[in-house]
Amino acid sequence: MALDILSMFQYAFFQRAFIGGICSALLCSVLGVFIVLRREALIGEGVAHLSFGGIALGLFLSIYPLNTALLLSLLGIFAISYMQRKKIVYSEMAIGIMISFGLAFGAVLASFNGGFNVDLFSYLFGSILTITTDDVYLIITLSAIVLSFVLLFYKELMHMTFDEQGARLTGIPVFWLNLAFNIMLAFAVVVSIKVIGSLLVSALLIIPAGSAMQLSRSFHSTTMLSVILGEIIVIFGLVASFIYDVASGGAIVLFGIVVFLVCVAIKKLVRTEEGVDSRMTEAVKP
Amino acid sequence: MAEPIVEVKDLVVKYNGNIVLDHVSLRVLRGDVLGIVGPNGGGKTTLLNAILGNVDVSSGSVRLFGQEQRKFKDYQRIGYVAQHAIQFDPLFPATVEEIVRLGCITRKRLGRRLSREDKRAAMQAMEVVGIEDIRGKKISDLSGGQKQRIFIAKALVRNPELLILDEATSGLDVCIQDRFVGLLHTLKEERDITVITVSHDLSSIMCQSNKLAVVNRNLFYTDVNAGTDPTNLLREAYGQHFTFVFHHDRNECITHIE
Repeated sequence: MALDILSMFQYAFFQRAFIGGICSALLCSVLGVFIVLRREALIGEGVAHLSFGGIALGLFLSIYPLNTALLLSLLGIFAISYMQRKKIVYSEMAIGIMISFGLAFGAVLASFNGGFNVDLFSYLFGSILTITTDDVYLIITLSAIVLSFVLLFYKELMHMTFDEQGARLTGIPVFWLNLAFNIMLAFAVVVSIKVIGSLLVSALLIIPAGSAMQLSRSFHSTTMLSVILGEIIVIFGLVASFIYDVASGGAIVLFGIVVFLVCVAIKKLVRTEEGVDSRMTEAVKP
Repeated sequence: MAEPIVEVKDLVVKYNGNIVLDHVSLRVLRGDVLGIVGPNGGGKTTLLNAILGNVDVSSGSVRLFGQEQRKFKDYQRIGYVAQHAIQFDPLFPATVEEIVRLGCITRKRLGRRLSREDKRAAMQAMEVVGIEDIRGKKISDLSGGQKQRIFIAKALVRNPELLILDEATSGLDVCIQDRFVGLLHTLKEERDITVITVSHDLSSIMCQSNKLAVVNRNLFYTDVNAGTDPTNLLREAYGQHFTFVFHHDRNECITHIE
């Protein structure tokens, strides 16, 4: 079995998928901590659906689909930020409109293109076979930008996540950092499309962070654990995808849900033991 | 004469066309402890938000440290504890130390790592409010009083010249409130800090403040130390049917309804 797993790396396509998977797990699990704690998981969904529209546009116009996915995601992010800032609609409404627009736009273009073919299916649910060398270059470049941003503004992002008004009052440019964060989110989604698929990418934003929150005491340990769990989930998902020849996105998400349930169970177990311990301590008190 | 820290002139604030603050003027000098009281919805928090530049002002002006509010960027000179600070997300995974250290972040130091001095300042702030022993604990596992002290420590970490407290001691027991009043006196004595504090607790406000402002859309203002009886001011805000009993030796106030 171990030899089988090692032999996977002989294949160039699996090497590319592995690099893409490592990068997308890293980015999504770090950004996911901020998104989950800000209760903005929906925005990940919004960007993902916009990217679907962008992919359909790319396939329709015979342009590199990840570029059009990135373009449409960024335009959507600017539109959402504009509607939020001008208080045209509630945040959730702005994101909801973008989700519908992305899906509808993609569906119409796919129909013009003769329906949902294999190519589009691989973008929707991920496919380790389709990751090209160009994709790997784009993934590495975008990952470097996103990671640099997070490392540079980690404290400020944590402050904004914990208390946005308080952060604003210390002079942190909350609007601009939020906008930059959402742009980074668009990058992370585009990085992950080929590995996990645009319809399932939001799971990679939510599941590692949500699992880490069950077991961590501090913000720092939550972020670190989220990254570790994200990497484990993606690597196991990719291996399962290779062995069983299933969509990588589906395998990653299903394995992620198992990890989440295990984390919830561990938390419950630890709490129960702590409760027993404290009751015993109370009982032996003179 | 002491330097003016906050100057509010003819301030008018409206929400959806309704006047919340009507031509309010106020002057807070360095070293003052200004207590703001008033009924619910009277505009106390709106006044603080206007001072902090957090609401749109219809007319009038606010100056902080001699600078116009809109141009003011020196926010590290101000420490602020919000009204509902302790009502944060109970699932938020963070330790006491992580939250207090957030107080070190300012616009001027955007993107910079925390220095050793920052970490030392955070430790000192935790010692001042007596939470250094629980610095590794998860914030959601703490009591209301402990949570409140985290936010006070966070506000103190940058050695602010102006401390703004919006009902910062509400929900704290008498011992911690007493300790907090002592802390304010120490800060005032040692650092000449200026304090603006909003509270519903008249007794606590009378203990802490040398100036009293009563806000109920309009603002009525008096110097407590000058020996002026604030009864009429308080009645303007709360109603004529209240009797306020002052114990001048203890600077306390007890209210009765007749």
